[in-house]
Amino acid sequence: MKKKLLTILLAGTMAVSAPGTCMTASAEASGEIVIWTAEPLMSVTQSMAEEFLAENGYNYSVTVESVGADDAASNMITDVEGGADLYGFAQDQLSHLVAAGAVQPLTGTGYDTWIEEENGSGSVDAATFGSTLYAFPQSADNGYFLYYDSSVVTDPTSLEAIIADCEAAGKNFYFEINNGWYQVAFFFGTGCTLTYETNDDGTFASCDVSYANEQGLVALKEMIELASSSSFQNGSSISNATNVGAIVDGTWDASEIQKLFGDNYAAVKLPSFTGSDGEEYQLGGFSGYKLLGVKPQTDADKLKACLDLAQYLTGTEAQLAVYNEEGWGPSNLTAQEDEAVQADIALSALAEQANYSMGQGQYPDDYWTLATSLGDDIISGNLTSSTSDEDLMAVLADFEAQCNSYVQ
Amino acid sequence: MMANQNTKSVRAAGTSMNKSRIKPLHVAAYLLLIAVSVVWLLPFVGIVLQSFRSFDTEYGGMVEYLLPKTFSLDNYTWLLSGESQFLRWYANTVTIAFFVAIGQTCMVLMVSYALSRMRFKGRTLWMRVCLILGMFPGFLTMICLYFLLKQFGLTQSGAVPGLILVSVASSGMGYYVCKGFFDTIPKSLDEAARIDGASRARIFFCMITPLSKPIIIYTALTAFMAPWNDYIFASYIVFGSSNNYNVAVALYRWVNEEAGYFTRFCAGGVLAAIPVTILFMCLQKYYVEGVTGGAVKG
Amino acid sequence: MKKTAAFFQAMAASLREIGVTFREGDWKTKVSYVIFGFGPLMRKYYLRGIAFLALEILYIWYMVSFGASYLAQFGTLGTVETHMDPETFVTVYGDNSFLILLWSLLGIFATIFLICLWRMNISENRREELVLKAGKEVPTIRQDLHKLIDGKFHYTLLSLPTLGIFVFTILPIIFMVCVAFTNYNFTHQAPTKLFTWVGLANFKSLLSFGGSGFGATFTKVLGWTIVWAFFATFINYFLGMALAMLINTKWIRFKKLWRTILVMTIAIPQFVSLLYVSKLFASDGLINSYLLKWGVISQALPFWTNPLWAKVTIVILNCWVGIPYMMLISTGILMNIPADLYESAKIDGANTFQMFRKITLPYMLFVTGPYLLTTFTGNLNNFNIIYLLSGGGPTTMSMTGGAGTTDLLITWLYKMTVNDTNYCMAAVIGIMVFAVTAVISLVVYGMLPSVRDEEGFQ
Repeated sequence: MKKKLLTILLAGTMAVSAPGTCMTASAEASGEIVIWTAEPLMSVTQSMAEEFLAENGYNYSVTVESVGADDAASNMITDVEGGADLYGFAQDQLSHLVAAGAVQPLTGTGYDTWIEEENGSGSVDAATFGSTLYAFPQSADNGYFLYYDSSVVTDPTSLEAIIADCEAAGKNFYFEINNGWYQVAFFFGTGCTLTYETNDDGTFASCDVSYANEQGLVALKEMIELASSSSFQNGSSISNATNVGAIVDGTWDASEIQKLFGDNYAAVKLPSFTGSDGEEYQLGGFSGYKLLGVKPQTDADKLKACLDLAQYLTGTEAQLAVYNEEGWGPSNLTAQEDEAVQADIALSALAEQANYSMGQGQYPDDYWTLATSLGDDIISGNLTSSTSDEDLMAVLADFEAQCNSYVQ
Repeated sequence: MMANQNTKSVRAAGTSMNKSRIKPLHVAAYLLLIAVSVVWLLPFVGIVLQSFRSFDTEYGGMVEYLLPKTFSLDNYTWLLSGESQFLRWYANTVTIAFFVAIGQTCMVLMVSYALSRMRFKGRTLWMRVCLILGMFPGFLTMICLYFLLKQFGLTQSGAVPGLILVSVASSGMGYYVCKGFFDTIPKSLDEAARIDGASRARIFFCMITPLSKPIIIYTALTAFMAPWNDYIFASYIVFGSSNNYNVAVALYRWVNEEAGYFTRFCAGGVLAAIPVTILFMCLQKYYVEGVTGGAVKG
Repeated sequence: MKKTAAFFQAMAASLREIGVTFREGDWKTKVSYVIFGFGPLMRKYYLRGIAFLALEILYIWYMVSFGASYLAQFGTLGTVETHMDPETFVTVYGDNSFLILLWSLLGIFATIFLICLWRMNISENRREELVLKAGKEVPTIRQDLHKLIDGKFHYTLLSLPTLGIFVFTILPIIFMVCVAFTNYNFTHQAPTKLFTWVGLANFKSLLSFGGSGFGATFTKVLGWTIVWAFFATFINYFLGMALAMLINTKWIRFKKLWRTILVMTIAIPQFVSLLYVSKLFASDGLINSYLLKWGVISQALPFWTNPLWAKVTIVILNCWVGIPYMMLISTGILMNIPADLYESAKIDGANTFQMFRKITLPYMLFVTGPYLLTTFTGNLNNFNIIYLLSGGGPTTMSMTGGAGTTDLLITWLYKMTVNDTNYCMAAVIGIMVFAVTAVISLVVYGMLPSVRDEEGFQ
């Protein structure tokens, strides 16, 4: 009851204070607003959207379809017109969506100031491409950390200890090193950098990469050592994992992992490792965001309805509702202060790891493909502990050169 | 049928018969066959066993053991109750398969008859063009077919008729097997009928078609089976409209995207396999006749 | 040389006929040069007249309603970009390059078809005039219709399939061939962005070896594609035949049971069984888990992670899919081998192996030749098994374009079109794949006795 009241109140105040100075909506406008979201969020999204539109006198019906973040972006790119009006996606897809013209720019609409006021700066950066803001931050949990079975892993702060414990218990340790997103944990951890500057049109202007150096070598060697362990498994999806002792994964799998580990469920920041040079390094990583995009609209009334709805669906109340439903960590500053959010094991681990992670900017598609190739080369045994430093360095130099070549 | 015939004509492996009861060779042969059967059945046994693992009380993802700790039907009840749209997807697939089977069979019979029985200008050209078109990788044209179908409203919410249309429209190209079969029906039959004044159409409907029962069943059966496997093109034109998924699209999403739907995928797979398998087992005789008759002579 | 000469002669004859028809024809024929079917209609060949006229009207309707406006933009593929109104933030869609290309291609084909129709229309007029001049009777509508189910039954039979193939196969293929000469990729995605002609730029980037070029990778993928097709075809062929012979052996019992077990793999949808098998062999899958548990191995076997292992695993697992087919086919054929061949061979003192080599194998090879070749070309493009089992992986830094070590050309193509939406590059690779399979198959088909001597077979 209390929750419902708050919803109405919030919706009411927002309708009054809705920005968009240059937008006027006629109440007669009607039609259908299609929303794509992850399957577990379908019902909560449907009810929130319907409630909001009804409260604010919009005459639109709502259709919610379950389309996962990756599919949403690629489907939007295939056919913008056939795509959803509102769709959730992970921030790494933004460059693609901008390049394909599949997302409504928000700078200047008035909604951009609301987004900047309500959300953490990292999430605003994530939704910005070039100098334009494109999307509504929906969650701030697109990062990863360590989940472990506390009956298997005794010291989750050291990579070597985790591997040893898993090996001793005959359990698997999952770390998806052939995925560019997880792979940077090693490279960023040792101090390497890889960032891209973007142009306004969705292309990449410049690349700042330093992989082919001593730090990069340490990171690469550590991955090779990890991959040589009998307990190592390449992967990050709990539902495809078996015999799990520990897994590097994100909050979206938290409830599944909790179910699997039961009382032994535990989560912390990523461990540190002793590099081949004898130094101690803390694993780094990306902290990313999930965003809600609006399809470019040809109708002013519908555009306003969509933007208002997107604003509501990414507001404090909605983010808390999504947290309660699926455990997504809020990007909204007020929602982050919520007690339940503060006490969440997985989100605490994520917050802890955030101190060592880097805000995820934009990367070209080819980077992810390239990172997979490097990871596969390690897993397949093309690169082993017996590979000479020169050869490893040559691989890193090649990697760097290819990263640079993706700049148009 | 085959079991009866082979006593007469098969000496293929030609082992010499001996009066003694147990021969090492026989034991080895049976052991080999048993081993082969186990290997061939293992994946199916695995899928069926996994489908009985409880999603709610045990675990719905991948596990490292074969036998579920407790047998449960909750994956099936979940699929068959209103909680998922599985029944709807199933109905979509049956609809597609049914119409594709009918449409494709008609198309193939028409083309095969024309190419096998009639001689006309452009006949060899027609066959050669089909042969060449068949070598072009089909995936490339998906985007084009998508927008083509979209012009007629046959994507997303119109995906079911759209899929039927695409499968039926180009099916004339798969005439090889059927034409091969028609070629084996003696032409003298046609000529006799024509002397009696029967038209080509009459010969086609009243003479050739009744003679072609095995190949008709073979064509319809393969056409019926294909939509159960179509996850690529179907997902490409149906995206964003879950009401119009077919079983393959839905199941493929479960195993690749949705967290922890592995046991449900297995249960869905078992349900999807049941009609096709039953149909196949009943019509196996015709399938064998079709595949041997047509493929070899085509 | 002879052929081209004959072609030009035919062309010249055709032109001459057009002229002669016009000069010698009556006014009805002359009007028919503009209004199709006018002559036949006036001469009471109603059915043909209406058909000609209707098709001409259809063409004009298509061109006037939208074909012509698209065709006019064929050269640029659109000039007006989609843009956002800076005041209201509403999007205004511009030209859609995709539809421009698609509908102008259809327009071009329609025009070619119209010219053919015009030519047919002229011969029709000529023929009718000659018939009337000779004082013969004009066929009734009934007679015309009867022809369509008798002498010209192939028109009736083939028109619908041909139309279907044209719209849903030929038109899309020609469209994609055109795309190979454009810059249609995710940064030029219709309807929000325009794409345009770029000439041979995509082919150049394919052929440039090394660097970001696709050349070296293409060669590697092509190599594996051929190796794969060879092993996948012949291993299945011989093992399937061996199994069929084993089951066919006189003293083997429960023949039907063995066959049914094997045939199950054909019946069950591949995407279910192959996906499961793929997970079965994963490094954390059931097979490795049990082997580790039983202490057979101490480290998981790299079925999918090591390039060589992955290739071998795929070929072996393909047996699981392919052997039942081959077994079915061989069973039928083996039963057709005349038993007395074996009897007389036995009398001559031949042993089992000799009989196999001298009788069974030649017979099988002779009869299954075409099947073997279609299987080979089918395997060149065997998408399902690679995509569902290994997904093309593992990848390696030494290959570009996202190609993996077990990728066939077709699966690589799929990654490029669907995952990377790099349509223009995919179209180029597609043309290459097409060229490779077409050359291999045409050469091989040409050598087949049953194709060369089609009539003799009956």
